[in-house]
Amino acid sequence: MTAAPATLVRRLVTVAGWNDRPGAPAASGGPGPKRRRPRGAFRLGQYAALAVILAMVDLPLLWMVLTSVRPDQDIVQYPPQLVPRSLTLDNFRTLFADGAFTRYLVNSGLLAVGSTVVTLVLGVFAAYAVARFGRRFRIARWFGELSLLAYLIPGILLLVPIAQLVNGAGLANQPPVLIVLYAAHMLPFAIWVLRSYFRGETVDLEEAAMVDGCSRFGALRRVVLPQALPGLVSTGVFVFNMAWSEYMFAATFLTEQSKLTLSVGVSNLLDETGVNSWGLIMAAGVVTVLPPLILYVLAQRRLVEGLGEGAVR
Amino acid sequence: MTVASKRAPRSAAGLSDRALAGLLLLAPALVLLVLVAYPSALAVLSSLFHVDFVTGARRSPGGANYLTVFTDPAIRAATWRTIAWSVGNLAIQVVAGVACALVLNAGLRGQTLARGLVLFPYMVPAVVATLIFRYLFNDVTGLVNYLSQQVGLIDQPVNFLGDPDTVLPTLILVNCWKYTPFITLIVLARLQTVPRSLYDAARLDGAGRLALFRSITLPWIAPSLLAAALLRTIWTAYDFDLPYLLAYGGPVDASTTLAIQIRKVAFDQQDIGLASALSVCFAILLVAAAVPYVRSFRRSEQWMR
Repeated sequence: MTAAPATLVRRLVTVAGWNDRPGAPAASGGPGPKRRRPRGAFRLGQYAALAVILAMVDLPLLWMVLTSVRPDQDIVQYPPQLVPRSLTLDNFRTLFADGAFTRYLVNSGLLAVGSTVVTLVLGVFAAYAVARFGRRFRIARWFGELSLLAYLIPGILLLVPIAQLVNGAGLANQPPVLIVLYAAHMLPFAIWVLRSYFRGETVDLEEAAMVDGCSRFGALRRVVLPQALPGLVSTGVFVFNMAWSEYMFAATFLTEQSKLTLSVGVSNLLDETGVNSWGLIMAAGVVTVLPPLILYVLAQRRLVEGLGEGAVR
Repeated sequence: MTVASKRAPRSAAGLSDRALAGLLLLAPALVLLVLVAYPSALAVLSSLFHVDFVTGARRSPGGANYLTVFTDPAIRAATWRTIAWSVGNLAIQVVAGVACALVLNAGLRGQTLARGLVLFPYMVPAVVATLIFRYLFNDVTGLVNYLSQQVGLIDQPVNFLGDPDTVLPTLILVNCWKYTPFITLIVLARLQTVPRSLYDAARLDGAGRLALFRSITLPWIAPSLLAAALLRTIWTAYDFDLPYLLAYGGPVDASTTLAIQIRKVAFDQQDIGLASALSVCFAILLVAAAVPYVRSFRRSEQWMR
């Protein structure tokens, strides 16, 4: 029996939608009570492996933070000083003294927030329609399946035609274009995650609310969306990160200095000053990486809470 | 309750459910049509013509575009590089990802915290990964050069990102740093669903650790692993941001994969028709690459029944 392509894609996206609940694995892990605990050399080897993994994964990030708070004359020492001798915030001061970096930061923030809002609003519309009406109306069902195929089309394959489209319409250097572009890119993912929250128990609760006199929109606002909050949060974090980090489209469509995002502006900064001032560059890196990491940490906690309340599923 | 769902043709503001469904889907459908469906069609159309870069006008049919795709030495070289890039990335990420997941699922102390920390690189923007690793791999003050020399791995500083021989392996390592957590996370989630009873039964039969892994763990995680690997293959083969930012396709094209080549052809050589033809061929390659995954995915799912 051959599975329809959409079915396979759907399975794949289920797997890809791990961030549906980033908290889940961490929350539910741990060995069962019956599990035999290995002892001795094997156990020691496991701890050693864990240490190596954590070092390889997180030391590069730590090295960036360390470099960002050291004066340049310490950074250029060779052999490198592994333990900092003096700490300073000068690199951050220099970074913000010139307004350009602040400009990039604001631009990226607006772009990421805008993309997140647009994607979530459109995602809620579409996911609600697909989840509620997919069984009755073919259009809604097809939309659900086809949008998943759209998720698999890599951005680079659309770069040239979209550039033709955007430049042809004279829309270069218009940040809202990027917001819609990012929304289009992330919408299939948002629909997929959100529609699972619009099913099951939520339907019963919604119908109960409507019997009690709520309008459909009232029920959506008071019952359905609160139930879907963990899904909204995780989708939102994912979209925010994507829009915050994206380089290819941003570099193609934003060329005016005052419109640049962090990805474009910081990579330019690296090309202009990198060799002379790694401290400054690393400070830019620290500021750029903070919002996604903070969001990830916060959202993970929120998700674990949401699961703890046993709201959905 | 069923009253409301089955026999309520009028819902919000006097709209029928059908109208409401259409209304809700209008904006999302419009966005996807304009920014995904239409560009896809436009790419196919443009690939058949010579397109004027400035005016966007399609001139003279350009079947030659496809001929060029298959004969151009730069494109051929980029194709091989893309294959090396994808295979290298996937081989390392799958092995390292599974190994990490196994360690993180072993019930060690601090496991929850470690799981959170291991995921960090996946959240790091490509440009930040670029800053970090251009610094770590530089040949003057770079820590990698220093440490490698200390332990005697190399005699002289290597310009990892500036030497055509080392640039691609270095890019692969950085990419693995950023994306292995994705595989780890999916495998980890799957590992937690392995029924204990399977292990207990196998242990009664006297199976060792390796046998347990090969006969139970691996088949159990296979469907998730294959699906994750397929997604990562697609996203890696077509990835632009990280390899481009780290080396801009250079030195002397040594890290120009097809994704970077497409952009180069389109905007540096200003040949929209050829870039579109390349995109179309690259898309077909994607489908071909997916076939073996889909096959083994089905086989591994049958094992589950």
